Amino acid sequence: MARPLAAAVALLLLAVAGCDGGGIAGGNPPPPPPPPPAAASFDVTPCLLQFVAPGQNLAFLVIPDVLTINTARPASFPNGRTPADPVIDRTLALIFLDFSRHSVDTFHNIPVNPGGNDVALPASFPWLAPAFGGQRPSLGGSNFDFRTDPESAYTRVDRMGMPAIATALIGSASKIPYNDDSPPQDLSAPPGSMTFKWVPEIRSQLTTLTNALADDFRAAGLTMCAQPI
Amino acid sequence: MSSAISRQFAAAVALGAAILGLASISHREIAAADHLDAPTRTDPAFDQIPDRPADIADVYAWHTATDVIVALTFAGPNPADQAGTYDRDVLYEINISNDGIPETTEVPIRIRFGHDGNRPGVQVTGLPGGASVEGPVEETLAVNGMLVRAGLFDDPFYFDLQGFRETRSMGTLRFNNQRDFFAGQNDTGVVIQIPRALIQAQPRLIHVWSAASRFGGNL
Repeated sequence: MARPLAAAVALLLLAVAGCDGGGIAGGNPPPPPPPPPAAASFDVTPCLLQFVAPGQNLAFLVIPDVLTINTARPASFPNGRTPADPVIDRTLALIFLDFSRHSVDTFHNIPVNPGGNDVALPASFPWLAPAFGGQRPSLGGSNFDFRTDPESAYTRVDRMGMPAIATALIGSASKIPYNDDSPPQDLSAPPGSMTFKWVPEIRSQLTTLTNALADDFRAAGLTMCAQPI
Repeated sequence: MSSAISRQFAAAVALGAAILGLASISHREIAAADHLDAPTRTDPAFDQIPDRPADIADVYAWHTATDVIVALTFAGPNPADQAGTYDRDVLYEINISNDGIPETTEVPIRIRFGHDGNRPGVQVTGLPGGASVEGPVEETLAVNGMLVRAGLFDDPFYFDLQGFRETRSMGTLRFNNQRDFFAGQNDTGVVIQIPRALIQAQPRLIHVWSAASRFGGNL
């Protein structure tokens, strides 16, 4: 990729590890986090920097929040995303596991979640299966009243690139501003900051999850990408 | 199953439960790819007027030997008896970059819905070459070798959301990898197939993201 990797690594290493972006949102109080096991404190920097796909580390899989397709390589998440891909089980592997010891399919091979869609997906256009209750008929028509207003007349509600990763690693208090951003903002740095806008939040959320889960991974015989502090 | 396999399975499910249960500390984000996010705008549990039409369920983007396909699902998941959602006031974006720089948009696809009486139609603009197409939903529309179809589809996403919620609320292991919350549910969606020759540039990287916006501001 045409990306200054060394500079990016420096930016990530400069991220504020202690920044807590996961506070309580107005009207959206999450349950309090369970206390992490004693002495469970991990540095997730190796997770953000490890290469989880050819030429791509986790940080640049998530920032900016876009799906990336390399047409020279097979199509399967995280190289793009097909409707059949087990994105949740693979996401768990991407953010928690040491890829020198485990693969992206460590969880999917079990599987932890259902292993596939409930109905077969067609192997050609339109690629998605017909609706339950029967494919709806076309009603025809030709004189549709599409709006012609400029895009500035619309207000952002939702955005999406990567499945699950970004949403799992952005805390409730940051949901609205995160959905209001676009990839250029993902790659911006706030005044006085040396790191991309959402790195501290992602680092904070991943650290909290990792600290709480470390003993479970150990019990399962899995090696985490995070390192004890 | 044998006891060895059974134990392995139980351990695996326990691991899944631990991961997903604790992931609830940041709401239920991991419970879905993007369904019901952002919660205070699109989730009935957190918003008295949730904007379901503008709630992106998932965005998919992949390539085959001949084509690049992008698909956007939204306004779901819903049970089988519910109709598709074709909201005139929502603008859907599928932003594609083909210059290797992910934050730029070379192909700004825009999707709008309208009605001819009670008959819903779809309009897709900003396709490669500046092409656009419009026509009824639930029909395959074609322009310059590209195919577009909007309609109601099976929600292809799969995940044990019930197990996640029960594990969290009951404090008891409830995960089941045979249980798919999204089974039997539909989303409204738009699928766009583009011949690679029309969209692929050098380097061979394509970046895709989506957005939904509402005319006149948030509900």
